[in-house]
Amino acid sequence: MPRNTLAAALLALAAAATTAQAAPATVGQPAPAFRAVDTGGKTVALADFKGRHVVLEWVNPGCPFVVKHYGSGNLPGTQKEATARGVIWLAINSTAAGHGDHMAPAALAAWMKQHGAGATHTLMDADGTVGRAYGARTTPHMYVIDPSGTLVYAGAIDSKPTANPADIAGATNHVKAALAETLAGKPVTVAQTRPYGCSVKYAPM
Amino acid sequence: MPCPVLSIARWRTPGAAALAAAVASAGLFLAQPAAAAGAVVTTPQVRAELVAHAPEGVAPGKPLQLGLKIEHQPHWHTYWKNPGDSGLPTRFEWTLAAGLAPGDIDWPAPKRLPLGPLMNYGYEGTVLLPVTVQVPAGFAGPALDVRLRADWLVCKDVCIPEGGDFALSVPAQAASAGHAALFAAARAALPQPVPGAQASAEVRDGALVVRVAGLPADWQGRALDLFAETAGVLANAARPETRWDGASWQARVPLDPARSAGPAAMPLVLTTAGRDGGLAVTAAVTTPWPPLPAPGAAAAATAPAPAPAAAVAPLGLGLALALALAGGLLLNLMPCVFPVLSLKLYGFAQHAGARRTLLAGGLAYTAGVVLSFVALAALMLALRAGGEQIGWGFQLQSPAFVAALAVLFALIGLNLAGAFEIGTLLPSAWLGARARHPLADSLLTGVVAVAVASPCTAPFMGASLGFAVTLPAWQALAVFATLGLGMALPYLAACAWPGLSARLPRPGPWMAHFRTLMAFPMFATVVWLVWVLGQQAGIDGAAALLGLLVAVALTAWALGAPALGPRARRGFGVAAVALLAVALAWAVPALRHEATARAVAADERWQPWTAEQVRAALAEGRPVFVDFTAAWCVTCQFNKRTVLDDPEVLRAFDARRVLLLRADWTRRDDAISAELARMGRSGVPVYVLHAPGGAAPVLLGEILTVPGMQRALAALPG
Repeated sequence: MPRNTLAAALLALAAAATTAQAAPATVGQPAPAFRAVDTGGKTVALADFKGRHVVLEWVNPGCPFVVKHYGSGNLPGTQKEATARGVIWLAINSTAAGHGDHMAPAALAAWMKQHGAGATHTLMDADGTVGRAYGARTTPHMYVIDPSGTLVYAGAIDSKPTANPADIAGATNHVKAALAETLAGKPVTVAQTRPYGCSVKYAPM
Repeated sequence: MPCPVLSIARWRTPGAAALAAAVASAGLFLAQPAAAAGAVVTTPQVRAELVAHAPEGVAPGKPLQLGLKIEHQPHWHTYWKNPGDSGLPTRFEWTLAAGLAPGDIDWPAPKRLPLGPLMNYGYEGTVLLPVTVQVPAGFAGPALDVRLRADWLVCKDVCIPEGGDFALSVPAQAASAGHAALFAAARAALPQPVPGAQASAEVRDGALVVRVAGLPADWQGRALDLFAETAGVLANAARPETRWDGASWQARVPLDPARSAGPAAMPLVLTTAGRDGGLAVTAAVTTPWPPLPAPGAAAAATAPAPAPAAAVAPLGLGLALALALAGGLLLNLMPCVFPVLSLKLYGFAQHAGARRTLLAGGLAYTAGVVLSFVALAALMLALRAGGEQIGWGFQLQSPAFVAALAVLFALIGLNLAGAFEIGTLLPSAWLGARARHPLADSLLTGVVAVAVASPCTAPFMGASLGFAVTLPAWQALAVFATLGLGMALPYLAACAWPGLSARLPRPGPWMAHFRTLMAFPMFATVVWLVWVLGQQAGIDGAAALLGLLVAVALTAWALGAPALGPRARRGFGVAAVALLAVALAWAVPALRHEATARAVAADERWQPWTAEQVRAALAEGRPVFVDFTAAWCVTCQFNKRTVLDDPEVLRAFDARRVLLLRADWTRRDDAISAELARMGRSGVPVYVLHAPGGAAPVLLGEILTVPGMQRALAALPG
């Protein structure tokens, strides 16, 4: 086997890997770094949680799909179960400031509290920077990041894309499943699903 | 109708009315008294009406269409079957008299509905979602009672899930044609299949490039838009880059960065401005999809056969390395490696006592094995990166490689049997070098071992190798290096373990018999290789190889037989070399020629695999079983003989009307390589059971068993 074949292979693969990283938030690749202010005015960076499991959840209380999962207690329950196991949970609201669904930080914090949410931080992203970096499309849209900073899950909260709270009981909660596997050090079996919900109400660029 | 309790205003003040929203949202689905159902449901966003079209009444064989007419308030929309970046398609649940079968929604061509950086596909204004109903023979009665539960998501810049229960009585004896114009408009809006159109698609540089030829003359040259019926494949917000090449239309659409599907065929809708409806074409995807984050995850979870290696599709690197080590160890038990095992055993016997020599030889052998694996893997990865459709075992798809292996094994066998001695054959300078460098000899043995073992690596390493080719280069090479290490480990241990080498028998006259005995596994290997070559190059190729082997044997004997005197050697040698030249001249073209007929697929039960056949059978409601196999794959042949040809298994196949397809990878086949890659595999065997009805196909284990096969068939729906 000529040595230059090996070199060519390595070169070709290195080139392929570089192009893959240019795409936004790809499962199996490092999760894009970000910094945002939470509803309490505190600046939070993803880098603060290096070495921890992190869940990102796109939220908009004006969306019936979000209401489905908060009103039923499904998302608050998942949040509390996760944070009890040491997971950092960041709920992110990328609704534009001019949109009817936009909520001021205090109002959003109150809404989360009222629903018994267990998120570690609720982040304001009215300019949509974080949302666009992750390619967040829907509320809810879920991401799981492992302690090495690699994105290990992206997609829907569960397997039944409806707005009907009655469907939660029979659905597979993909985030719970992904967390259970990644917390046990196993690869995530269902690592990417199609998210469902309302569109993220992005500010025009 | 309780739906309208939702008001737009509520969604604009979410903080204040959150709890009410949750209650109302829940109520939407629960408080639907059936008694209240009529043909119309009105909400602040839409007016929806259940309508029927039965111009000749309701009777067997007469046309009957039902549909939901949705009139949207300005700026509100509902969704197409692929809703785009968000949204949900409208869903119907029909309750009809027994025997009446409503079809799927005949979706009208959608519109693009952009929202910031996102893109949805759906309908504004008035749309009719029609279904066609087959009325069975024997239908009687004064009227057909139709009940429909419909759920839709209606959005402007905010979204509201709505739904309703509808009821309608369609008279059987009288014409229902009040909505004829509406149904006619829906028919006009339905994308039409184009007879004779040819569409194909390939994945190139992160985009799907679609080519369509044979479009109608009045569509030629127009600006066309493209919609994919399958959600989660293409980047929805990207406008296709399109152009006409004469009569052939080409579009390039970037892949969805969060792609969740990699279908073998893409049903597409083409539209053009100023025309209702559009054209429906299905593009066969001719290149493999880049691997998804979790290849075959759903299928692996349901794999019924006990298959330790196959059931774990997405592996972590650690697990892949562990499996590679175990797989490497197991390779020593495989028939492919047995001839080399014989050589090594003979080597042990020869060198018994010289422990230092043994250890150095063991290390050199290990280096040879590991380096060969890494080199083969690097070559494979480089070729794949260059766009070649190959997978593990690819080297055995080349008839020339198979022939070269056969010649090598014939020579080793003849040497062991005593037909010639290498000492006589080789120039003394080379021989001296070899004696001074026994390490180089061991290294070469390692290289040969890997070349021979490669057809047996796929069965044990299918999942691990399939995973490895999706890894960054250094990780992939680490997996292959570990595989080699596992394979060499027993020898290394035997060389390093003083107790073990001391227990080897003393050298003596038995060694000569042992050596002759070891010639027979070599000849058996030659038989196998000739058979493989016969599959690839036909009977002419096999005959050419056998002729070549005779010439090689004669040459080896003439030049190397110890009993021959110098004059005889010169005479025979010249004749033998001349014969060898003739044999080569005859054999080489025959080895290049690849048989066109597919020998393996000639079985009447089994048909050659094509993606179209799978789709067609599934559309008919028939399950499909695909055997991805190759003549050079020993495990494939074992499974075929013991399980796939088993009468009970064949009966079970027949009972379920399973279409049996065989994908023969003995020779290079890009379509099969692409299908393997789509399933996250890079070698054979792979066994796939497709159930009709859209369920994920089930990947069976690489070692089949009769009970496992029966269980998998019993688990088919219906």
